[in-house]
Amino acid sequence: MSSSISKRHFLRSSTALVALPFMESMGFRRFAKAAPVAKAPKRMAFLGVGFGFSQKSWYPDINETGENWKISQGLSPLERHQKDLTVIQNLYHQYSNEAHWGSTMWLTGANRYAVPGQSFHNTISVDQAAAEQLGRDTRFTSIQLSTKGNADGHGPGLSLAWNRQGKPVSALDNPLAAFHRLFSDSTVPLAQRQADLKKQRSLLDTVLEDAKSTRGKLTQTDKDKLDEYFQSIRDIEIRISKEEEWLDVPKPKPDASLTQPAKGVNGVAEIEIMYDLMVAAMQVDATRVLTYRQPLNSVLQSMGASITAHNMSHYADGDRKVLSEERDQKQSEMLARFIDKLKATPDVDGSRLFDNVTLTMGSNIHSIHYLTNCPTVVTGGGSGIQHGRHLVMPEKTPLCNLWLSLLNGSGIKADSHGDSTGQIGELFG
Amino acid sequence: MNIPQAFYPRLILAAYSLGLSMTLAVAADSGTGAAMPEKHFAVLDKYCLECHDSLSDKGGVNLEDVSFEIDSVESAELWQKVLNVMNSGEMPPEDEKQLTTEEKTAFLKDLSDQMVVAREALSDTGGVITMRRLNRREYENSIYDLLGVRVNAEDLPDDANAGGFDTTGSALFFSSDQFEQYLKLGRQAIQKAVMIGNKPERKQFRLQPEVSMNQFIAKVATRQQEQKDQAEAWRATNGKKTPADFGFIDENDLKFHERVYQQQGLINLHYLKSPYIESGATLNLTFNGSLVPKINIDARAPRGEYLLRIRAARLPGASEEDSFLEYGLVSPSAQAGELELLGCRKITGTIEEPQILEIPISVGEEGLFQFGVRQRAQNNRESMRRKFLLTQIKTGLGPEPSLWVDWMELDGPLDQEWPPPRYTQLLPKGVKKIGDPDVYAREVIERFAKRAFRIKEPSPAYIDKLVEMYQADIAEGEIFRVAIQEPLAAILASSGFLYMIEPAPTESGQELTDLELAVRLSYFLWSAPPDEELMRAAEKGELKKSERLAMHTNRLLDDPRAHEFISSFAHQWLHMERLDFFQFNYRNFWEFDDSVKEAARHEVYETIHSVLKEKRPLADLLKADHVIVNDLLANYYGLEGVNGSEFQKVSLPAGSPRGGILGMAAVHAMGSDGERTSPVERGAWVLRSLLDNPPPPAPPNVPQLSRIEDKLQPARSILSAHMEEAQCAQCHQRIDPIGYGMENFDAAGKWREMEVAEKVGNRRVVASKEFPIDASGELPDGTKFTNYFELRDGVAENSANFERGFTEALIEYALGRPYGFSDEALRERILKRARGKNGEMREFVLALVQSKPFRTKK
Repeated sequence: MSSSISKRHFLRSSTALVALPFMESMGFRRFAKAAPVAKAPKRMAFLGVGFGFSQKSWYPDINETGENWKISQGLSPLERHQKDLTVIQNLYHQYSNEAHWGSTMWLTGANRYAVPGQSFHNTISVDQAAAEQLGRDTRFTSIQLSTKGNADGHGPGLSLAWNRQGKPVSALDNPLAAFHRLFSDSTVPLAQRQADLKKQRSLLDTVLEDAKSTRGKLTQTDKDKLDEYFQSIRDIEIRISKEEEWLDVPKPKPDASLTQPAKGVNGVAEIEIMYDLMVAAMQVDATRVLTYRQPLNSVLQSMGASITAHNMSHYADGDRKVLSEERDQKQSEMLARFIDKLKATPDVDGSRLFDNVTLTMGSNIHSIHYLTNCPTVVTGGGSGIQHGRHLVMPEKTPLCNLWLSLLNGSGIKADSHGDSTGQIGELFG
Repeated sequence: MNIPQAFYPRLILAAYSLGLSMTLAVAADSGTGAAMPEKHFAVLDKYCLECHDSLSDKGGVNLEDVSFEIDSVESAELWQKVLNVMNSGEMPPEDEKQLTTEEKTAFLKDLSDQMVVAREALSDTGGVITMRRLNRREYENSIYDLLGVRVNAEDLPDDANAGGFDTTGSALFFSSDQFEQYLKLGRQAIQKAVMIGNKPERKQFRLQPEVSMNQFIAKVATRQQEQKDQAEAWRATNGKKTPADFGFIDENDLKFHERVYQQQGLINLHYLKSPYIESGATLNLTFNGSLVPKINIDARAPRGEYLLRIRAARLPGASEEDSFLEYGLVSPSAQAGELELLGCRKITGTIEEPQILEIPISVGEEGLFQFGVRQRAQNNRESMRRKFLLTQIKTGLGPEPSLWVDWMELDGPLDQEWPPPRYTQLLPKGVKKIGDPDVYAREVIERFAKRAFRIKEPSPAYIDKLVEMYQADIAEGEIFRVAIQEPLAAILASSGFLYMIEPAPTESGQELTDLELAVRLSYFLWSAPPDEELMRAAEKGELKKSERLAMHTNRLLDDPRAHEFISSFAHQWLHMERLDFFQFNYRNFWEFDDSVKEAARHEVYETIHSVLKEKRPLADLLKADHVIVNDLLANYYGLEGVNGSEFQKVSLPAGSPRGGILGMAAVHAMGSDGERTSPVERGAWVLRSLLDNPPPPAPPNVPQLSRIEDKLQPARSILSAHMEEAQCAQCHQRIDPIGYGMENFDAAGKWREMEVAEKVGNRRVVASKEFPIDASGELPDGTKFTNYFELRDGVAENSANFERGFTEALIEYALGRPYGFSDEALRERILKRARGKNGEMREFVLALVQSKPFRTKK
């Protein structure tokens, strides 16, 4: 094999990972593309947990609402943050029908049968709607994190995110890949990277030529189908344009305490590292919109259990229920630690990262098979929610009303999201 | 893997959401055939109308004038709401008058059945086929056909869509991520195809385990013995000296080494005492998994076909069950003893007369270069270790090994045509003496684009742009064989290759061109492009003639590539994805390891394939006096005297429960959760796959039967609780009894007379109880049966339903669109023709291929 080809393919490979020189990662440096920001930006993050939580022990008592509520057993590790979070009950998606799809429509609220003759349809997720505005000034419009495998109760999709066309958005599925994408610079010279992007454009131009010459000869149904191909090419063109803009800006490095994650970290440790990476990404303003579709099977394994996530989710009294409750606690523990870090990390304007982010944890699955009353915890000061309360909404309030409220609360103008019928006014006092 | 679709069927109707437009649903005008029996108006009148009439209109729901014909999206949505709230117990409200159990059961049963009918009708596409892109299988096969290179496309979506087939165009989406994957895979494939180098030299790699493995074990054992001796010496001092004096960190460290000796040292020493390891190795289970002699080959070894030779024997006293040798790839991340399995062979040689296995193997496609063998075991370290511990607890040692391996050898690449034929096709002049490079490059690009596009002629402007890409690289100083790659890879990411393009007809239902028909046919039966013979026939216009079309269909069906159709179709038609959902526990199902699971899966495919090959009736799948199994599965089924890892026809003794699809281990395992049988899953599967009587989807938000789970009771009495609630009873009364008839097969398909209910706590069985099995039940048509054999006969008598369900699935798979209401006439024509020919499976395929819908574009 000639050396030139291996180099070229290395360059072209989207996963061309470059080890981060350790010296560079020491200390916090900031290279912002835009002028220094006076005020900290708004950020949004969503954590999808797959199979829902234990019905009796995770959800707070519905008779204790407002500020006077006792934290439930499943949420108890979050007690120290009780004043800074909101638990909301009775939100749901009216079109939900898949008892194993905790994430597919969680952020979208779509009706999978909305298009006749198709067995699957989705719409834009709230994070991507937010990213259209919040993502303009950062290197990464949004960052999607996920995990290997797909048996954790999430359902179809590559991440929690679905684009404007309702197509799945891919994710970084392990901490090492996420670390490199966020913080490692390419060692390839600038001129070469520019030339490479130019070649990518010419390739796209070529395949478009073929698609255009085909389109005119097709039936209307087939034209609509081929339009997915055109849209995909357009999406890549937009991404290339942004890459070009940021080509000469080195990636800012995270806090020195965050080192390159080891390969093959699983379960609880995997989530903890991903949380640290999310904090670091916000800290250096690499992106303002993050989603994380979390592992569950490997979490259970790392807790020493041999029951699969799916089997656990069908809990009845006994081993599986005990495990389900332990898992709830573990999830809350990790979230509490995440919040600790967000509170401890300063933002550009001296406020805390916590004050400017809206962080939501939940799933489309309530517990066992149930799809009503989706578990929902919101924290962070980004959208002006008056926290510290337990809100029990009227039954079957659209979950999309929450998504709309969070968008508007974060300064994003939107009249609706999914099947929303309006904002949840109670959130804001 | 994703959680089972078929397992928890979807609740909702397509109709539920068809609110936007009904332009495609032709059936809507002509009536759906779905109607609620008028008698149920009494229920509405008695329990609903007080709040939900036109006057009160509570919750915006008015049932007063509701149409009992479920013939529109609106009425379907309304009826679906009624079904949902009654299933969940929301309506009638608690403080209102409640339906009697009989009323509720009858009402819900009729409604959920009618909604199934309505859904089918309202999602009818009226015969319109949406253009599809190649699914993952077709993509892999098409690349192989073009370049002779196998790509690893596992990062592409697997395209298995909820309920439907992976050929359904409307469900095969495209995204920018996918485009980039296609580009990446295309570049890899083109690089492999172009950069072939010189003809690789044939080489032999050899392993003598007594040199590598046994010496290593001896080294470890010596150290373990020494440390144990040191610990003993310290104990003899009665605390007068410190553990540090004997080389330990502290007392804990010392105790740790004592434990290591007990758990592992003794085993290692025992292994080394074996008379068989002077030359070779025995294949033991160990504290850490399994002993796996591994053969390493150079990571730069040329890919190609190799022979793996193994000299092996079974040890005296070994049972046949344990005399199977598994071989596979060793991935760097695997835990001790785990393999990426490639196969399993029965060892019949003895220590006196060992045998030499010769196994063909492809090297280098997976990027792994270490091959290992092991005595068959469950393919995960934890299970192997626990199985080992079960014996160690009793004897202090592990289970005795059954197999011995003298040496292993990997020999290859075997002789092959050089340069490979696909290379010559791609680059007829090679890459060196090529004349004018620009002219040659254009030739190469244009010819490849034409082949890759199958039907569509690549436009001149497109070819120009591809050539420009080549020239840009040349201008940068690249050599020909490098510069030619990027445009070729771009072709593999172009719509002309990725989509099955059939231009719009000028009139409705216009006949396909011969070429288009050839492509449809080969992707239907091979999931791959047409071969040269079919292309030639198409060019000569032969396929317009019905008998020539039939001839070619038969030719394709007789080709080994038709196995792709059998396995892909059967996997989806019979919802076999469930076979991979659960891990079977080592304690009760040690024998149901990955090799048996694969054999069980292939039994289904091979049995169907044999019916096709031997021109036998489709209904033979329901009951037969033989099975198609290999030596491993024969052993699992307790059939003696079967040798050879290939699948073969084996006659059954009288009274055998095997023979026919209901007796297959794969089917039983699919109807379990890896621990216990699930009569519900089994019953629903029989209704769906064999009787063409699919039960309505399981509704969400129905109360669980949690209160009785985990109690020591037979499955049958646990499920009897379904009959207590009307919401459950309406469907389960026809599902569960069929499942009861299969209770003599345990979760992994072994025959049993008694059912054992266990309660497990902390990985230990804390209580268990045995119950005799009651396999009596009833089929939906009222036929009663008292045992499994009568159930099998009862199902076999319903072969007309089986043929109907098969036909509908075949239409859906072949045409790449959901089976719809408007396909009924087509289905009946196919059935009529096939039944006129003894119901032969092949006749169904022939009838479909020659039908108008298969030969036309709408």
